[in-house]
Amino acid sequence: MIGTDLSIILPEIVLAVFAMLALVVAVYTRKDALAPVMVWATAGIFVALALWIAGGGNTTKVAFGGSFIDDGFARFAKVMILVSAAAILVMSQDFMAKRGFLRFEYPMLVALSVVGMMVMVSAGDLMSLYMGLELQSLALYVVASLRRDSVKSTEAGLKYFVLGALSSGLLLYGASLVYGYTGTTLFSGIIGAVEGEGVSVGLLFGLVFLMAGLAFKVSAVPFHMWTPDVYEGSPTPVTAFFATAPKVAAMALFARLMFDAFGTITEQWQQVIAFLSVLSMFLGAVAAIGQTNIKRLMAFSSIAHMGFALMGLAAGTALGVQAMLIYMAIYVTMNIGTFAFILSMSRDGQPVTDIASLNMYSKKEPGRALAMLVLLFSLAGVPPLVGFFGKLYVLRAAYDAGLAWLAVAGVVASVIGAFYYLRLVFFMYFGEERDDGLDAGGSPIQWAFLMVSAVIMVAGVVNLFGIEGIAEAAAATLLQ
Amino acid sequence: MSLLLIVALPFLGALLPGILNSAGRQACAGGTLAVTLTALIGLISNIPDLMAGEVITQRFEWLPALGLNVTLMLDPLGAFFAALILGIGTLIIIYGRYYLSRNDNMGEFFTYLLLFQGAMVGIVLSDNILLLLVFWELTSLSSFLLIGYWKHLPEGRQGARMALTVTGMGGLAMIGGMMILGQIAGSYDLSVILQNREAIQSSDLYVPALILILLGCFTKSAQFPFHFWLPHAMAAPTPVSAYLHSATMVKAGIFLMARMWPVLSGTPEWFYIVTTAGLITMVLGAVIALFKHDLKALLAFSTVSHLGLITMLLGTGTAFGVLTAVFHILNHATFKAALFMSAGIVDHEAHTRDIRRLGGLRHLMPITAAIATVAALSMAGIPLFNGFISKEMMLEETLETQLFGPHWLVPAIATFGALFSAAYSFRFIVHTFFGPKRDDYPGHPHDPNKGMWFSPALLVTLVVIIGVAPFLVEPLVKTVAGAVLGGVYAVPDYHLAIWHGFKPPLYMSMIAVAGGLILLAMHKGAQAAWDATPRPEAKTIFEGIIAFFAGLAEKITATLHDGAFTRYAAILSLTITALAGHAWMTGNSGGRVFEPQPMTEVALLGWVALVAATLFLVFKHRDRLVALILMGIIGTVVSVGFAYFSAPDLAMTQISVEVVTIILMLLALNFLPDVTPAESSAGHKLGNAVVAVLGGLGAAALTYHLLLGDFVQNSISEYHLANSYKGGGGTNVVNVILVDFRGFDTFGEIIVLGIAALVIYALTETLLNGPVRARLLNRVPDKPLAGDRHPTMMVVLTRIMMPVVLLVGVYIFLRGHNEPGGGFIAGLVVAIAVVMQYMASGFAWASDRQRYPYHGIIGAGVLAAGLTGIGAWFTGHEFLTSSFGYFRIPPMEKFELASAMGFDLGVFLAVVGAVMLSLESFSRLARRAHVPDSDYPMDIDPSREEETPNQEGAA
Repeated sequence: MIGTDLSIILPEIVLAVFAMLALVVAVYTRKDALAPVMVWATAGIFVALALWIAGGGNTTKVAFGGSFIDDGFARFAKVMILVSAAAILVMSQDFMAKRGFLRFEYPMLVALSVVGMMVMVSAGDLMSLYMGLELQSLALYVVASLRRDSVKSTEAGLKYFVLGALSSGLLLYGASLVYGYTGTTLFSGIIGAVEGEGVSVGLLFGLVFLMAGLAFKVSAVPFHMWTPDVYEGSPTPVTAFFATAPKVAAMALFARLMFDAFGTITEQWQQVIAFLSVLSMFLGAVAAIGQTNIKRLMAFSSIAHMGFALMGLAAGTALGVQAMLIYMAIYVTMNIGTFAFILSMSRDGQPVTDIASLNMYSKKEPGRALAMLVLLFSLAGVPPLVGFFGKLYVLRAAYDAGLAWLAVAGVVASVIGAFYYLRLVFFMYFGEERDDGLDAGGSPIQWAFLMVSAVIMVAGVVNLFGIEGIAEAAAATLLQ
Repeated sequence: MSLLLIVALPFLGALLPGILNSAGRQACAGGTLAVTLTALIGLISNIPDLMAGEVITQRFEWLPALGLNVTLMLDPLGAFFAALILGIGTLIIIYGRYYLSRNDNMGEFFTYLLLFQGAMVGIVLSDNILLLLVFWELTSLSSFLLIGYWKHLPEGRQGARMALTVTGMGGLAMIGGMMILGQIAGSYDLSVILQNREAIQSSDLYVPALILILLGCFTKSAQFPFHFWLPHAMAAPTPVSAYLHSATMVKAGIFLMARMWPVLSGTPEWFYIVTTAGLITMVLGAVIALFKHDLKALLAFSTVSHLGLITMLLGTGTAFGVLTAVFHILNHATFKAALFMSAGIVDHEAHTRDIRRLGGLRHLMPITAAIATVAALSMAGIPLFNGFISKEMMLEETLETQLFGPHWLVPAIATFGALFSAAYSFRFIVHTFFGPKRDDYPGHPHDPNKGMWFSPALLVTLVVIIGVAPFLVEPLVKTVAGAVLGGVYAVPDYHLAIWHGFKPPLYMSMIAVAGGLILLAMHKGAQAAWDATPRPEAKTIFEGIIAFFAGLAEKITATLHDGAFTRYAAILSLTITALAGHAWMTGNSGGRVFEPQPMTEVALLGWVALVAATLFLVFKHRDRLVALILMGIIGTVVSVGFAYFSAPDLAMTQISVEVVTIILMLLALNFLPDVTPAESSAGHKLGNAVVAVLGGLGAAALTYHLLLGDFVQNSISEYHLANSYKGGGGTNVVNVILVDFRGFDTFGEIIVLGIAALVIYALTETLLNGPVRARLLNRVPDKPLAGDRHPTMMVVLTRIMMPVVLLVGVYIFLRGHNEPGGGFIAGLVVAIAVVMQYMASGFAWASDRQRYPYHGIIGAGVLAAGLTGIGAWFTGHEFLTSSFGYFRIPPMEKFELASAMGFDLGVFLAVVGAVMLSLESFSRLARRAHVPDSDYPMDIDPSREEETPNQEGAA
């Protein structure tokens, strides 16, 4: 009995044990000197786990009396989380080592937060949901303030922590209300109770507070306040991490909760999510225009993208979930490439994040500039690049679900959003000649990630690498 | 040839120029030419089938889930445009081969050109509107590369940016329109959509779809109010201007309007939007064109004007209008491409395009002059050239069109536009080629070699042929018009001819030409007047709008993200309140089950005390000591409240936690200034107050409702009540929950508590060994220390109290299982007793007498709890299963012994250890150097004979 349960969560256990062991080993041996090895080892474990999970068959397994679900949806999200986390780790190693803050805790904290994320996407119970969420968040609070000597980084970490704690409180309050009005914390039990008893005010309050807590994690407007500050203040590799894996996990958790626990009362949460989605898309697009710091800009960009992903969720259909998964996969790929570029931005060896430093970059580094151009166009959702298909998917899902106004709003927001991506392109290709441009060259690893993701943006138009079918199957398991 | 191949050829061929570039310019251009020609021949091979009335389609699956498939369709309309694109493309490649200088990277140029060509062909052959969108944006992208090809020119950059911004955004807007359209029709295939005229026009979403699609078309085809980007894109090399901005890209919008004509046209919305925009564009473009000095700018605005003309014709929604539009598309493509190429030749040879520095070129470059003159005359609408015929037809159509009231309005405006059109055409001819020869040309103008004038010459030949014998193209025009009409209307029975007799259009034409000549004669004066008139410059407006929106965006961002935490928290709270309000409005309330309890005096008093203390705290929170005292009051009242509501365990826990935390904060107070920094203005405070009150009221309302209603499910406490004694052997349910039902949780919690204490210890250790140490040592208290550090009364009292308190602790611990109490509360009580010793008798004295390190106590506690849990294994139960029995040891009464007691002991020890360790750590910070701790418990001890130690600060 317990053996079966443990075998189902074996990947999580392996990763957790690895993280703790590695931590102890590093503490008692060479500490930070071991960090590069740790980074590679952790990334290796991530990839190995991803392969393991991806090859894990296509059955749905349930552990611990339903509080942990291992289904196609969870596996899809886990593979995305693991692979993107591995990519970010590998990318950041060189950057952090050069600036002297590659600490051995970094890969361990990332690994622990990944464990949290894996639990999140597999959660089948409000308890495991919260456990995963907090494990993830606690690790993230710490990595956000990894540069203890930087005031900005510390401030970012603190802000994130306080607001995060507030949202966790809300989420818990919501969870307790839901428990009070359904008598269970199991998603399967909640959905049954909802069907039997109907929706009371108390349950609705619980639902709303749960959504608010999760909206904070996906940084949907107006719960996004921490995002720009944290993105700007954290070291760039950490920002890159923030922009990728945790977003996938939170989005997947959001979907899981909404469909597994409240799937029969779609009309109750659809409007709220649509509202979050519209606000996120517009604020993300509008606020990004005035930014001069590329990390801050990416923060608003990620807010806008989360708005689009939420649009898929708001549809409340299998197509919507599929669209959301595809959107997230594309979003993560684009962001890995973009952050690979941002990581390589430096002037006289010092990292810069000033947009103006991109002026006439195409002259110095035509290859990188072209790759970045492709990524930016893809982020803007310009056909025929892959980013366009992601947008198209969510727009269609929303439209098919009868949310035409949302789809139209999404289009308008993407038009506004295109402006600031194009502005970056403009700087790179047609800006003024300046003396204080970026250094040429950079780490080959970052170069490789940038190029690969740019190539994916172009080559992916053939069939999106077959991700459609997988996402469809994953979405189907969620809606059963 | 397969349609897919025709579309794919330019894309695949785009690789060629890059490869062939190293083989020389001839090979490079030749390769490009071969690609385009092959595609053109492939297209022509399909013509016979088309003529037979067939529509050729091809279909491949791409992303079927999205409704996105590669479906291609060749009908007369598509074939007409494809032929224009490929045909003029061929000529442009020949021209470009000679136009580009040796310094230009020809491979790059032709690669972009072929990409663009492929995208254009893709647009006109797509049967799927999503596929069409993909190609549509590809043209934006490749045109961006082409326009920006000459990177060294700053205006080229500006132009590229504006072109991309405007057309790119229009294209994105169109995605929305296309999606709506596809949704209404139930398919994204054009062939299906075009069959659904009624469904689409009667749909509620018709207007949004129309507006979004027209946004795409108007931006692409530079229609008012988006006409401004086209002239600024003219910094591109002339072959690009000739190709993109006369024949192809700007016609994409026109093409789409024609393509969608059967389903979108015929409604008042369509008529008013399209016709008005077209008419305004036509006149505006023509007027501005007359006053431009740059040859290409003149031509650019004339293009804008002619596109407006075509748009207007499509807007009228009549079959005759469509026929005329199709015919004019053909004519415009021929003469305008020729004109652009001529302008390019002039620029190439004379090294300037400024019309004021030109003139008399007729003598130096007669061939170019002849070509340009013929083309320009056609543009002016002079008989025997093709422009005349379509212009006549246009004027005839305007006579039938009534817009905003009077009958004469549209014809008058059209004639006015035609007049300016004639004027700028004449100006183009006269000011460039006629007049005396000058001797101050920047270059040495002469006719270029054959390769360069071949293309425009071929085009003007067409201009003349069509102009003289329009019946030759009549079948073509009618077939294409038939395809545009899509069966909604029949193709009108009208014959293209030079002479239709003395009819109103002819008179209007004559007025236009005559007026144009007069205007040319008066050009100098008109120009001066024009230059003197202040007028809005579209580029400035565009930049102003961009700057305005950027500023607005920044303002919004600055307001929302001012970095202040309070702002974030306020927004968060307000949203939550609003969301909760939404939940309140939409949920069905469970109804009231309980009645509120009657309010007693005691409860009222407590409530008043709580509210008063809280309010007072809000106002006095800057004074730290007062704030702390008020918090103590609040905590006490809350504890009493718990007791009042029959929760003695909670009350006891609360009060002991209260005491410990207050002591903790008192210790911290030592290191802090008396008052917190002053914050914000009164207005800011008021805003915060509103947010706080709203949030508070919301929470209160929710609690009130929840307390009066009933939970849907039975509360879990019933289970606990029923099983507490039976299963756990205790009557104090709270304690049984802690040590039994949720024993595992508690076990985890005491571990966490222990770790937290250890972390505090570790942190203070690090602090004391770090740079903070020096600061601590040099700290000068801001107030004189009290003379009597260890007051006798307090020392005596705590000594006496110690055993009593310890006894109370043991008592509370022992009764815990059945009565209010338990390990946790007992732990806190004992901790308080010990802390009192530290406070009263001094740190050194107390720690000297302390035998067991607190770390060990924590560890012992965790171990005790763990071992109790493991003990259950020996009896064959799961971890932490408790068991209990009743024993009787004379002379005592029968008493109960539960294994949970051992667990509770663990909790007790862990709590004592954790609290003491953290307090000890904090108090270590307070110790300062140079001030030896007193060896004595009391500074003034009457029983001691020696001198009173001299205390600093006592004096």
